[in-house]
Amino acid sequence: MSASSHPSLVWRLLRRNISLPQLTGYTLANLVGLAIVLSALQFYRDVRSIWDAEDSLISRDYLIISKRVKGITIGTHSGEFTEEEIAELEQQPWLRSMGRFNAAGFRVGASLDLWGRGMSTALFLEAIPDSFYDVKPDHWTWSPTAGPDGQYPPVPIIMSKDYLTLYNFGFAASRGYPQISEATIGELPLRLYLSGRGREMRLQGRIVGFSSRLNTFAVPESFLEWANAELADEPSQQPSRLILEVNTPGDPAIQRYFDEHSYESAGDKADTGRAAYFLSLATGAVMSVGVVISVLAFFILLLSIHLLIQKNREKLRSLMMLGYSPGAVARQYYMIVGALNAVVLGGAVAAVLVARSFWSASLGEIGAESASPWITIAVGVVIILVVTGGNMRIIRREISKTFPRPRR
Amino acid sequence: MALISEITLEHTLPRVFAGMEQDLPVSASEVWLRDVSFRRGLNYMVEAESGTGKSSLCSFIYGSRGDYSGRILFDGTDVSSLSVARWCELRSRSLAYLPQEMQLFGELTALENIEIKNRLTAHKSTDWILSALRRLEIEAKADVPACRLSVGQQQRVAIIRALCQPFDFLLIDEPVSHLDARNNGIVASLIAEEADAQGAAVIATSVGNKILLPFTQTLKL
Repeated sequence: MSASSHPSLVWRLLRRNISLPQLTGYTLANLVGLAIVLSALQFYRDVRSIWDAEDSLISRDYLIISKRVKGITIGTHSGEFTEEEIAELEQQPWLRSMGRFNAAGFRVGASLDLWGRGMSTALFLEAIPDSFYDVKPDHWTWSPTAGPDGQYPPVPIIMSKDYLTLYNFGFAASRGYPQISEATIGELPLRLYLSGRGREMRLQGRIVGFSSRLNTFAVPESFLEWANAELADEPSQQPSRLILEVNTPGDPAIQRYFDEHSYESAGDKADTGRAAYFLSLATGAVMSVGVVISVLAFFILLLSIHLLIQKNREKLRSLMMLGYSPGAVARQYYMIVGALNAVVLGGAVAAVLVARSFWSASLGEIGAESASPWITIAVGVVIILVVTGGNMRIIRREISKTFPRPRR
Repeated sequence: MALISEITLEHTLPRVFAGMEQDLPVSASEVWLRDVSFRRGLNYMVEAESGTGKSSLCSFIYGSRGDYSGRILFDGTDVSSLSVARWCELRSRSLAYLPQEMQLFGELTALENIEIKNRLTAHKSTDWILSALRRLEIEAKADVPACRLSVGQQQRVAIIRALCQPFDFLLIDEPVSHLDARNNGIVASLIAEEADAQGAAVIATSVGNKILLPFTQTLKL
């Protein structure tokens, strides 16, 4: 007999009374529970990719707010956010970050030469901090250094996709103007006329990108600061619009806050934010079901182990009478639990991958990029480690209770 | 180096005898409610009648029960303060025990029952175990499940198992109750050899059939 056969002697003693149906029941129940939890998590992550994608149609973590306009207000500052209001907003728990829309404090006109048909319009320019853009065009910088010809460099502009759509399908169609694609508009020379404080300036502009998040004509902050310093009637103004990055889009607390303060969020973003919120709720509900099943399974295993230890009580005691430590005899049960939980983890991960292959095609059609499954797998590993650790603690406690020692 | 040199009983009394301190058998006992010391290197016989707490005494010393008043000390340390790890160490390296009911595992063979202890302590060679089985005339039963051995055969297997560890004290609870005089002598010589080699003490109990060891002291329970 070799030395390595000694654990097998203990194992031969303790494997008696193991109930295969109970352990199978546990394995299946925990497998179902964990598979539901992990699948819900993976589904949520996959769907979230639509939200998180750059320049995506429903990029909903951002809200642009302004004050509700009452009646007609001219020349007042009632639409501007005061420093106190901004400070109060910054205190809100759902706010992740905030950017101010800096508006041009001067008049802006623009003209565009469309194959011989000139078009001119009054315009407005705004700037927000760079981190809030959903599009990141190249050369999004501007510096007030005139070239050898005395001309300033062209001003890069990001405009709202909605405005282009409005022009193409509303304006151009009815006036017989040519429709313009995103690529074309970037090629067209745009002339900007800036005036204020009795001065006038002409610059070149260039549309460098389209945003579905920002409903404005946005220019780099560096340009706006320079132009405001040169031309603005008032040196600095309070912003009348703010862009907010929020933790949970659609959180009812956000809407409540806006209502209380008469703020409006732009477009239907809050509505689709609510869809995202609903998705979180639905995923949470499905995950809870999985968690409940897993917790029940955990108790099935505990009950099974408890019965097994009770049935093997005399043998466990005899082994410990011979000098075996509680840890040494518990190891046999650790191995059972470890093996079962490894099967559960493997099965649940396989189930997630299979389930994912069913939904990823449909999600792909609406623009979702599948999220990496590694996070889900890591969560599964952590859950199984916690469950196994809990099992092991309870086994150890039950066996220690059987240890022969004087209890006074 | 010895883990335990002296075992002391201080005014020890099984709980079942509480309130019967003035009655027989407690009042006549040389162990209960007395201060008694067992020292390494000596052999002790505890003589008892049935129902006087003989097996309880062994369980109290071995630490498997604590239902007594008074104290039991290992070299001055109260055994009720010993940790689980310390008990495991003592039971593999200092305290050897043959319980009266033997506590063999019925589904394991005679040899496996001995191996399961010896693998823990790595104290004896397989050759020594086989020679001990031969000496106690149960070599032929080595591969027979313990549940199919006679009580006398089980007793001898359990004795060999108890010897498969280093010890300072060997507690043997009625070790030869089911053995004839010839086998008693064989068992006694094996035990005496092992105890002498380690300078250990033997504490044996008996209700009649005593193991044939040279006892230093006999105590009436």
